[in-house]
Amino acid sequence: MHIPDGILPAQVCAAGYAITGLATWYSLRQINRRPDPTAEIPKASLLTAAFFVASSIYIPVPPASVHLILNGLLGVMLGYFAFPAILIGLFFQALVIGHGGITTLGVNAAMMGIPAMLAYHIFQSRNTLGKVLTEPTRTGLFAFLGGTLGLGIAALIFLALIIFNIPAELDAGAERAAILALSIAHVPLALIEGLFTAMLVLFVRRVKPELLEG
Amino acid sequence: MRLNLVLAFALIGAGWGLPLLAHGVELEHRQVSSVEIVARFDSGEPMAQAQVLVYAAGNPSEVWQQGTTDDQGRFSFVPDATLPGNWEVMVRQAGHGAIATIPVGAAPAAPANGSEPDMTPGVEVGSAPNSLISPSTTLSPVQRGITIGSVIWGLIGTGLFFARGKR
Repeated sequence: MHIPDGILPAQVCAAGYAITGLATWYSLRQINRRPDPTAEIPKASLLTAAFFVASSIYIPVPPASVHLILNGLLGVMLGYFAFPAILIGLFFQALVIGHGGITTLGVNAAMMGIPAMLAYHIFQSRNTLGKVLTEPTRTGLFAFLGGTLGLGIAALIFLALIIFNIPAELDAGAERAAILALSIAHVPLALIEGLFTAMLVLFVRRVKPELLEG
Repeated sequence: MRLNLVLAFALIGAGWGLPLLAHGVELEHRQVSSVEIVARFDSGEPMAQAQVLVYAAGNPSEVWQQGTTDDQGRFSFVPDATLPGNWEVMVRQAGHGAIATIPVGAAPAAPANGSEPDMTPGVEVGSAPNSLISPSTTLSPVQRGITIGSVIWGLIGTGLFFARGKR
């Protein structure tokens, strides 16, 4: 789902960098307001490594094959650390694995990072919106929603970005059909990532519940 | 998803063959040099039915030829030997794609009229992977493994460093 170099026009890439700059500034300011800004860095750093590797893991969804993104999971687990973590992870992916690109780093970071922040807020709302549910179900359900919607919203942004930027020389109908097929292939992936997020959160809740408080 | 463009080049000597004449049907054949590209995703599967745009050298704004890859991700075209320079081939499908630059050499003088075919290639092509588009294609698997390992270790090390200060 990473957008490579040379697909988007320059204005869109510049706008992506502008949005990413703003979001990074906002995240870092939120982090800096905490009593101990460095306390979460070990967790963030390890999950950045997981994010970096995840895009090399392919899941065949016929007829296409998609790879893990884990942006919803990072949002749920890391809160405001998710955006810088995704930005760093994407930078190394573009440089080392060749997923995405340097010119589209801003667009990709905004596309995956902003849904991650939404996923964090979805997960945090479990204590207000999910009051009727009992405790393990509540945490599990909202972690699932965070993981699924984080990826789902990112896939929708991808769809919109690509469909509104089809170059005039291409056969627009065929390209649109291919884009839709690829986006539909992300629905099972979103469910898989949601389940994975819920499993991880429930495991952490049993083993080290203070990690979920952030 | 990154995409590997593997370029295979068919180099066949150019030259006019023998015309075959019979009952008003005229068949002429001529061997020309064509360029074949193979588009694959980095997961190894071919990029089937992807759209291909070919841009002639010196005219990057106008599409010279357009087509789609077959089910094996292959597409071939015959570059115009009178337009030497760097030709560009763009392959795109659903927001994934890559650009390859293919140098096409200048055509030599027309082959001499003789019974033996002139074996001088009319078009010289070579491959130059576009380093801006896919930087990691230049790395060997070992180099890439070491790089990925270093990145992961850097992130884990950062985690360990900050974890140590708090205990």
